[in-house]
Amino acid sequence: MKKLYIVTILHNVGKFVLSVFLLSVLVFTVSRLAPGDPLYAFYGERVEKMSAAQQEEARERLGLHEPLVTQYGRWLRGAVRGDFGISYQYKRDVKEVIAARIGNTLLLGGLGFGLTFVLALFLGLFCAWREDRAADRIICAIGTVTSCIPEFWLSLLLLLVFAVWLGWLPGSGAYSVGKEGDAADRAVHLVLPLAVVVLGHLWYYAFQVRNRLLEEVRADYVLLARMKGLGGRQVLYRHCLRGAMPSYLSMMAVALPHILGGTYVVETVFSYPGIGTLAYESARYQDYNLLMVVSLLTGTLVIFCNLLAGSIGGRIDPRMRRHGGADGWEVKSR
Amino acid sequence: MKKRFPVLSLVVLTMIVVLCLSFGPVMTKDPLFMDLAHCNEAPGKEFLFGTDSMGRDIFSMIWYGGRISLTIGFLATLLSVALAVLVGSISGCAPARADGVLMRLTDLILSVPGLLLTVFLQAVFGRASVYSLSVVIGLTGWMAMAKVVRTEVMQLKNADYVLAARCLGGGFFHVLFRHLAPNFFPSLLFMAVMNVRNAIVAESTLSFLGLGLPVEAVSWGSMLSLSENALLSRAWWMLLIPGAFLSGTLLCLTNLGNYMRGSTNKRHSNLGSRK
Repeated sequence: MKKLYIVTILHNVGKFVLSVFLLSVLVFTVSRLAPGDPLYAFYGERVEKMSAAQQEEARERLGLHEPLVTQYGRWLRGAVRGDFGISYQYKRDVKEVIAARIGNTLLLGGLGFGLTFVLALFLGLFCAWREDRAADRIICAIGTVTSCIPEFWLSLLLLLVFAVWLGWLPGSGAYSVGKEGDAADRAVHLVLPLAVVVLGHLWYYAFQVRNRLLEEVRADYVLLARMKGLGGRQVLYRHCLRGAMPSYLSMMAVALPHILGGTYVVETVFSYPGIGTLAYESARYQDYNLLMVVSLLTGTLVIFCNLLAGSIGGRIDPRMRRHGGADGWEVKSR
Repeated sequence: MKKRFPVLSLVVLTMIVVLCLSFGPVMTKDPLFMDLAHCNEAPGKEFLFGTDSMGRDIFSMIWYGGRISLTIGFLATLLSVALAVLVGSISGCAPARADGVLMRLTDLILSVPGLLLTVFLQAVFGRASVYSLSVVIGLTGWMAMAKVVRTEVMQLKNADYVLAARCLGGGFFHVLFRHLAPNFFPSLLFMAVMNVRNAIVAESTLSFLGLGLPVEAVSWGSMLSLSENALLSRAWWMLLIPGAFLSGTLLCLTNLGNYMRGSTNKRHSNLGSRK
């Protein structure tokens, strides 16, 4: 039994490494096929003033002439040693550029994930408890509407109302100028982006919790528990919730990268200095090295969390060992 | 709870689609004409929904741009569904190892955040046009559907009638379209409707960010890309009106999609909290 466990772990690690490797090949190929000229990103307007020979020399120095396989090989050799090259646009080590921003994204995405996790569970429970009554129907209706509003428009709406009309909350950045260390100032700047992150995801998960509980509520053991004299509320909290919890946990493991990495749009609208704005800028200015690392980072997180979801399910819920993973849940594609 | 047919959604959606497709007579102005004497004008008699910061009439742009948004949503979904049926059914019929490889690849593509993947592919295609954007969005939206098709095909492929059809000499595509497709069509339809929705969101988000259609090519998303000017000049109509049309369309599509998914939970709750 113990040996089997080690084999499973090795198997998963192998899968992880292979997936990340393929992902890096994919991202590298696509980014180098793009027609934009990275020379511009590196030298800006100065490219136009350079002579053709100088341009050639610069290309040679940046290694943009060699075949794709060689370029990838060199990139990979560097990457294994932790050297991801320099950002053409910032003219600094890619790692430094990302390190300066990642904290902000982790804060926004992490808080967003935590809030979504807790609120979705409560909302789902409440709706399942009040199934088909007025409260449930109203929440379902509101939820459907909020889940249909694109994130960027929701951001614009909140900006218009709270930053422009009412003037209560700041509309951009992570802190006011000169107040970098001020926690209260940072918190105020977080409110609007955080609201969008949570509202954008909340109903999708709450609705799944609700539906999962409604299936659970129709099981025979509920009838038995009721016959023994347990109250409806007790059965829901003690038995049904417990039955739904393993799949909720593995669903949320899959959701983690979606919420953490899905803050691109929100960050861009609020000019919040995080990985999202970085991804947006690097896509706009064809800063390949940076874009690659950002995509790889998010992709790796997704692959890791997917594997995690599969093993969480198996660990805590014996029923899932046979069916494997979070297959029962819909796959969220975007 | 028996699901009621979403009549209102269907009516509203049909109206939006018809008005957008027959945009000519509906428009009161030329949507591309920049009337510099009337920039940032609030909704009024002459400009029903006001004008944007480039002096274009928003009422006309809504219909003209809606046509482009809807076209992209539709074309992208067409491509996604075709790819999903192809990959899903090949994977479902293939031997276990080939199936594993295909599914691993699908998972791999699924693991790159959708928006980034779209941005990436668009970079390869160069300057965005309606068709290139549809292709890019279509190429990034088939994975979830392919998984559903695969599951359905795997369940169906051993049915006796499929075996009979193969014995009679039916080829892969014959069996796929005559025998398998009709079976997975209902579950695919729900996902396809949701896919139209996702494609429209993707288009509008990209155009809004300035990574999709340029500002001169009018779509609901690119209309919103002038939002910074709108926020500065407090021109609420520039933000609220295109966004309301966009979200309204998405809501109608969602309601229709949810109806098609078929009703679940027909049995009574055992909790006994009702009555």
